[in-house]
Amino acid sequence: MERRDFLKISAATGAVAALEGCGNPDHQLIRFVPEEDMLPGLATWKPSICTLCPAGCGMLVRVMQGEAEVVRNGQLGILKMGLPKKLEGNPAHPISHGRLCPRGQAGLQVTYHPDRIKTPLARSGPRGSGQFQEITWDEAMKQLLSHLTALQTSNEQGKIGFLTSPLRGQRKTIVHGFAAALKAAPPIEFAFLASRTIQEANAWSFGSDALPTVDLSHSNYLISFGADFLGTWNSPVAQSVGYGHMRNGRTGQPGKFVQVESRISQTGASADEWIPSQPGMDGVFALSLAHVILSEKLGTAGAAGHAGALIAGWSEGLPDYAPAAVEKQIGVPAATISRIAREAAANAPAVALIGDGPAAHTNGFFNALAVNALNAVLGSVGKPGGIVFSPVWTSQSGKPGAAEGKKDGESSVRTLAEQIHATPDSVKVLLVDGANPVFATPMAWRVREAFEKVPFIASFGSFIDETTVLADLILPDHSPLESWLDDSPESGSTKTVASLAPPAMQPLHNTRSMPDVLLDLAHQLGGPVAAALPWKTYDDALKIAFSSLQKQKGSVSATDADDFWTKVKDQGGWWSAEDKSVSLAAGKIPAAAVKNTAPQFDGSPDQFPFHFLPFASQLCYDGSLAHLPWMQESPDPLSTVMWGTWVEMNPRTAEKLAIKQGDTIEVASQHGSLRAPALIAPGIAPDVIAMPIGQGHTNFTRYASGRGANPISILAPMVESGTGSLAWAATRVKISHISEGKIVMFGASLTDASPELKHR
Amino acid sequence: MAQKTPEQINEDLLRPLSGTSGRYLIVLAFLAGIVIAALCSFFWQVYAGLGVSGLRSPVFWGFYITNFVFWIGLSHAGTLISAILRLANATWRRPVTRCAEVITVFALSIGATFPVIHLGRPWLAFWLFPYPSERGIWPNIRSPLLWDFFAINTYLISSVTFLLLPMLPDLALVRDRAAGWKKKVYSVLALGWTGTPKQWNRLERAMHIMAIAVIPVAVSVHSIVSWDFAMAPVPMWHSTIFAPYFVAGAIFSGIAALILAMACLRKFLHLEEYLLPIHFENLGKLLLVMSLLWFYFVFAERLTAWYGNDPSEMTVFWVTQTGSFSPLFWLMVLCNFVIPFPLLAIKKTRTILGTSIASVTVVIGMWLERYLIIVPSLSHKYLPYSWGTYRPTWVELTITAGTFAAMVMLYMIFSKLVPIISIWELKVGLREEAHPAPALAPSHTQPNEVGAD
Amino acid sequence: MAHQWGMVIDLDRCTGCAACVVACHAENNISTVGEDQAARGRAKHWIRVERYYEGEFPDVRVKFMPVLCQQCDAAPCEPVCPTFASYHTIEGLNGQVYNRCIGTRYCANACPYNVRFFNFYNPEWDKPLNLQLNPDVSVRSVGIMEKCTFCVQRIKASEIQAEAEKRAVKDGEIQPACVQSCSPHAMVFGDLSDPQSEVSRLARSSRGTKLLGELGTQPKVTYLQRESWHGAENA
Repeated sequence: MERRDFLKISAATGAVAALEGCGNPDHQLIRFVPEEDMLPGLATWKPSICTLCPAGCGMLVRVMQGEAEVVRNGQLGILKMGLPKKLEGNPAHPISHGRLCPRGQAGLQVTYHPDRIKTPLARSGPRGSGQFQEITWDEAMKQLLSHLTALQTSNEQGKIGFLTSPLRGQRKTIVHGFAAALKAAPPIEFAFLASRTIQEANAWSFGSDALPTVDLSHSNYLISFGADFLGTWNSPVAQSVGYGHMRNGRTGQPGKFVQVESRISQTGASADEWIPSQPGMDGVFALSLAHVILSEKLGTAGAAGHAGALIAGWSEGLPDYAPAAVEKQIGVPAATISRIAREAAANAPAVALIGDGPAAHTNGFFNALAVNALNAVLGSVGKPGGIVFSPVWTSQSGKPGAAEGKKDGESSVRTLAEQIHATPDSVKVLLVDGANPVFATPMAWRVREAFEKVPFIASFGSFIDETTVLADLILPDHSPLESWLDDSPESGSTKTVASLAPPAMQPLHNTRSMPDVLLDLAHQLGGPVAAALPWKTYDDALKIAFSSLQKQKGSVSATDADDFWTKVKDQGGWWSAEDKSVSLAAGKIPAAAVKNTAPQFDGSPDQFPFHFLPFASQLCYDGSLAHLPWMQESPDPLSTVMWGTWVEMNPRTAEKLAIKQGDTIEVASQHGSLRAPALIAPGIAPDVIAMPIGQGHTNFTRYASGRGANPISILAPMVESGTGSLAWAATRVKISHISEGKIVMFGASLTDASPELKHR
Repeated sequence: MAQKTPEQINEDLLRPLSGTSGRYLIVLAFLAGIVIAALCSFFWQVYAGLGVSGLRSPVFWGFYITNFVFWIGLSHAGTLISAILRLANATWRRPVTRCAEVITVFALSIGATFPVIHLGRPWLAFWLFPYPSERGIWPNIRSPLLWDFFAINTYLISSVTFLLLPMLPDLALVRDRAAGWKKKVYSVLALGWTGTPKQWNRLERAMHIMAIAVIPVAVSVHSIVSWDFAMAPVPMWHSTIFAPYFVAGAIFSGIAALILAMACLRKFLHLEEYLLPIHFENLGKLLLVMSLLWFYFVFAERLTAWYGNDPSEMTVFWVTQTGSFSPLFWLMVLCNFVIPFPLLAIKKTRTILGTSIASVTVVIGMWLERYLIIVPSLSHKYLPYSWGTYRPTWVELTITAGTFAAMVMLYMIFSKLVPIISIWELKVGLREEAHPAPALAPSHTQPNEVGAD
Repeated sequence: MAHQWGMVIDLDRCTGCAACVVACHAENNISTVGEDQAARGRAKHWIRVERYYEGEFPDVRVKFMPVLCQQCDAAPCEPVCPTFASYHTIEGLNGQVYNRCIGTRYCANACPYNVRFFNFYNPEWDKPLNLQLNPDVSVRSVGIMEKCTFCVQRIKASEIQAEAEKRAVKDGEIQPACVQSCSPHAMVFGDLSDPQSEVSRLARSSRGTKLLGELGTQPKVTYLQRESWHGAENA
């Protein structure tokens, strides 16, 4: 019986409240001795780092005393402890500037989630059934160790796979160091929104294999090609802060913002001018703008340097890209193209961005190179108001495997799956940390089927998701707020940033920090592995790594090493004193200048008449946050949908197919189909249908399981021709009306005139 | 009626008090079942929370407040009509007044429960009472809900008095004829009425004062109910026409309820010789006038809104005129005007059946009118983003059905306890007929009409 | 003179990101109601980002407008409450005393902005989500109204702190959770009785409008309208 029910019944029957003490199981728990001194009712603020997306925002955690049910030494009891109550941006942090996005705010619910894995688990039912039994840490470590040593003895360490979410800082050092010393296969870092194509293009154009830092606060003109830079792309908080400044934060002219995309994104909604273009034609659009600039002598071809030279025809002034010649392809009138180019050239500094969507075509790499060239000719690379590349701190722990490892795209999971399907024996042990490729890869890649062939999977996950449910052994990690954290973001600030945070709270459950588990494993494995990872604990490793920063000019000045360490911990990290940007290297020099190839789409236009555009959800992100009630119940800013997904289409499309708002429709590609409610909205091209990524989990806690549909699942296995990344915007689909359906929307009206204008 | 002797009157009108038929008990049990179901629904709502209703943001008032306004409106049947007829000395009123006044008391009691039923925390409803509370705070006199509290209580007290006063001689009559415990009960109820000239004199004077006093009270009650809406800046609520509009609507629905009650009494209590076609015809004429008045008010309200062309008002205007609420709106017009108007205007159809049909549609139409005042406005307030829809749940439907059942049940029980037609007033009528009073013209003409029947 | 707390929301800066919505949930112990209840219109968001589409493809514009309690000086919600649960504080806030509320919901009907929310059921937090609850803010039971308070707990904390330090509250010292979270700095909070405060200066902007101001509610939130870009080319 719930306590509430008990109370209700007590009240209803007139029973005295004194009975409550006997009936309430809370009162029968033992009370542990508090481990920290806290004054009740007083809040303290502790630094932390948001780990929910790669932006790496510095946070402050508001901690107040409370009573939590915790397990200590196998015993459930009540502990008076500091409990995080609210997450806010750390005002001193050069990326978050004291702000936080909606997803970051909800990080609290990761820690307090009712379906967190509370103790090590061993699979007890068939694989994937979700049946696990609780085991002790000793048993769990013994099991994992026996699998690792067995492979060591048979000299098959190469058959140990390590699959993680993107890693940075000392966590990366330890994971890669562990794998290298064990002679395991190189760890694969997987994320659906990895932006690999853009990073690779930046490496070609500018010699920097990273996402750019966008200095919006000084920009006067911004052309964004499908970049959701205010929502989910790159470093949204830092970019939003800059955007606010660009709009109205400085004296003089506010900057103009032009967004080019085929469906209004949450970012595009704020644009001064929203230009719908044909999917995959962003590169042509960018070069057409460059053509106008070059032909009207608003800039010189030479000014673009290497980034320009990469593009075929650049030095001749891009004769193939005259607006009149390409307007049909792009779907934008030539006059508009010329006007935008002239405006941009006249309003320096002007900057162009390319987002994940335009890069997720078969010609995405070309699109990114073209936008880079446009940026170069606009003179905005490495300049205030343009894009710069931040100097990334690579730790000096003195051990190999630090941040220099090559970045992985999502394609390495496809390679892994193909490898397992080809030779099932090639991976015998798979360690999974944070990544959920079973959810976030197309069904056509057959990742789940591949993983099912792996004899032993161990997961460090905190939640049973679609990948972890396949695990044989689960060694649950602390939540980020319970962990030591460090981070060295590659973008978002012109300073070098090395964030650091001690745990903001004691662990609630019987969990262990993953790096500590690896160090423990290494210690027990002995030999070269132990030698490669000599630190006793993760924080020891962090302290040593950060000590190298003491001599550099930065945000912390300290008398000695301990003082430095304390101050870095208090401040939430270290950042360089001055703004710096990486000096532009020549980049890669290709054999021949890059030419545009028309984007390829899976499915013929007659049979599959619609472009299918998945997009990152403002709240559920890539699906990894769909388990948080706040993310489910907050209305999506554009669709206002709560607790579900939708398929967005133009009113004309809906009318043609006799589809009404909320009707259940089927979206079918050549590789699968899904059903979801229709959302009819004007901000999308009639030949495009769009769908948010995030819902459609089959197995992801009580709040996300069985909710909506997953657009990634039906994607065609198209790849970007240059980088091999998944071209997730290159699928064509057909839709059919199934039945009346239901869609939960917070906002009632889609198209009524804005009342605030009406009453102006 | 001329042929009835006082003894016959006693006989006919006291007959219902003497026993009950099996059919009566079955119907009563059926109604009691519905009322019990409604009570259970209410307690479930209190236990689980108001979430079991269909209320939602932004439609925070729905069926409950519709019922509230409807029942309060219905209550205007009795006391107000009775008072006006008394003051006008319309002698044909005599068999009508008591069944009318009873409607008032019961409908008002039922209506007054809804403000409690609809509360989020009904167990704290007593906080509306002005008393020096331990919380050190008095109710907010600026709130129309508090005006409601006073108005409804005043009206309830005066209606009960207005009903009880002329019941005293009849209760005494029952007392004199009863035996055993019934005699004791009716002795108490009759308040020692012996029928002395002094008592008759005082009764006449008291009734006269009450009849005058109750009219402004009745008008104020429904005006104040209308101000619950008109005082809030909600599109189509914030209107000066609301008070008279509501009063007219209340009388309209009240007369319809009275006609229905009389038709039922006539049939089931075999009062064919007391409730005569002339009563239905006269009340039918009144209903006709009110139907025209209602149409006039609706027309005036809509026309003004249309010409005003305020965007937020026009939203509600169109949503009722042509939008999602339009089926209900036009059904309302059908029920309140298109059907009753010809039925009541044509003398041939202004029969008992005709007026009864018209009354049924008017009662339905007036319920719809209350619903259409409340829900479309709330669901389409100003900011389109926050618009919503409303659909009642079984809880609201059960409670609503329960109040209708309660009304009929109470009426049935009452008719078994007290003569539903005022016996002494009929006798007075007989006397006046025998010795026409020269001063008062109406008593001349009308008994002649009655006598000609 | 008592403070008069007010807010300015710059629609030119607002990106509709919904950080304010989540921040408000975290700060003010607003319970989530789940899919079924959300579908029945019982979701509670003290601040919401209203979104309006204008025009048809391809000439579509989107407008975001965060709407929270406007803390009106002539608030329609206040006089209608029979139990003084909604009342006007000396600092100009539309207070809501949960203990006094009996749930007539009259205030919610009278409010033109639909920013008052009703607890149709008792709030629930699946354990241990309840550990997140802010001890400075009371949890609201079934049957009562709740609404944006301008984070009165933060206002009071700063006022008490200032008083202890024998100084005035500094401009910008108080930030409600929504204002604190706003990345593009679209929201500014402060004292309208101080003509020098940032919020007062911005409220006097020529771009400033009051939402439904024609109703005479005298809101203390000023919206700065978006400006169309008029660059060198178009000048």
